[in-house]
Amino acid sequence: MSFLSLVGVEFKKIKRSKIFVILFIATVILWIPSILNAEMNFNMQAEGISPENNFFIQGFMGMAWFMFPASMVVGTVLLSQTERTNKGILKMLALPISTIKLCLAKFVVLLALAVSQILMMVGMYYISAAIVTATQDYNFILSPIFIFKEISSISISTIPMLAFFWMLSVCIQTPIFSIGIGLASIVPSVLIINTKVWFVYPMSYPFFVITSEYGKLAKNLTTAQVEFFPWIPVAISITIVCLCISCFRFGQVERE
Amino acid sequence: MSVSLEYKKVKRTGFIPAFLWGGTLAAVVPVINMAVRSEMYLGQPNSPIQILMGASWQMIAMLNILLVVVGPCLLYHLEFADNAMQKMKSLPIRESSIFLAKFILTSFMCIIVLTTEAISIIFCVSYWFEIGNNFWLELAKNFGYSFLLTLPCVLLSLLIASTFKNMWMSLGIGVVCVFTATMLPTNNFVLSLFPFAIPFQIFVNTETTQAMHYIYAAIIEIVAIGFAEFVFIKVRRSLE
Repeated sequence: MSFLSLVGVEFKKIKRSKIFVILFIATVILWIPSILNAEMNFNMQAEGISPENNFFIQGFMGMAWFMFPASMVVGTVLLSQTERTNKGILKMLALPISTIKLCLAKFVVLLALAVSQILMMVGMYYISAAIVTATQDYNFILSPIFIFKEISSISISTIPMLAFFWMLSVCIQTPIFSIGIGLASIVPSVLIINTKVWFVYPMSYPFFVITSEYGKLAKNLTTAQVEFFPWIPVAISITIVCLCISCFRFGQVERE
Repeated sequence: MSVSLEYKKVKRTGFIPAFLWGGTLAAVVPVINMAVRSEMYLGQPNSPIQILMGASWQMIAMLNILLVVVGPCLLYHLEFADNAMQKMKSLPIRESSIFLAKFILTSFMCIIVLTTEAISIIFCVSYWFEIGNNFWLELAKNFGYSFLLTLPCVLLSLLIASTFKNMWMSLGIGVVCVFTATMLPTNNFVLSLFPFAIPFQIFVNTETTQAMHYIYAAIIEIVAIGFAEFVFIKVRRSLE
């Protein structure tokens, strides 16, 4: 079985899971306060950020700090639990398919969930920006090229975090621990981005990227900037180590 | 009887260690906070417990709420995962008594978690400050209040968990609710009554009349959610 058709099979499995509904509700709830408090964007002149940039950044900061990582923890639960019922995973493991491929196919689905939530965020951003433009009589809509650049850097920065969550859900058999560790690891990311060693903590990457972007857009505010040197090698090695461990552990408990 | 049965069910699921570890993790927050930047807090004029709660309760409450969301999801996942719920339904047990037993178990775990956190506050006060005259009374009132305000959150997450057969649905909705709670403005009384937002309130930093309002609101929420679950179970049973 080719890798692509395996990924297709994995997508079919989550077709009726209603996960997209949850991801979508989360993005809708995220933008409601921004729409209601839109006039606050005009009070941010002290930081030297324009209202439209502020509107965009505040929304995406709300996403990156808790909602997005927590939704991805839910995504890992979905991937590990859909096949638990009636021991579906045992049947998959009995087929002549390499487990590594199967594990990576599931990870690709997780990546796709992440991308789809970020795209929903962008869609909701444009809808709410249009609403706010109408209510506040000021153009809040930013150019799609700028938004695309921003969201692609956020999306790439989330990969190590997703690999870590995936490793948790594969390696820890009791679901409460994998969920608990995943959710608890999100909480301190706000503190960790202010330290010098933020790059060893993958859960803080998306929030760090968006805060550094905030610092770039706000002239009078200095936030830590992205430095590629220790970060990229560390991030890549974290991703590879997490994926290797999860591929190695995948299906081992079931086969025993 | 059914509470001890629930206890037996969760024995090997990691439910109890998860609460113990979660409580310990939350208890470490004020200690680290004081150890790293005690000079920020030592000069403040308020009573030690007010300073400590103000400095670290947001994070502790967040961890508590996450525990309270995950715990009930697991409790009902146990029943739904291998169709144990169907077997339970065929026994001469009311579904609402299962719910009640799960609620009592989770509340009991919440008491343990809050006690762990109270011990950490006692440690911080005795190490960095001095234990004053009415410290113990203040501490007891404060954590009793926190416990009461946690109960609506426990009930609502149990209600969500009992509604959906798939754990990702109940967990997903729980996570969305926690996220909503973090977005709500804290100075608005009505919005801060949202069951997932109400545990963020601190007794020692609110005026007594305001605190009494929260206590009444929490009791009303407990009754309302309990009643809603009771009706929901009856309706679902008759529709099946």
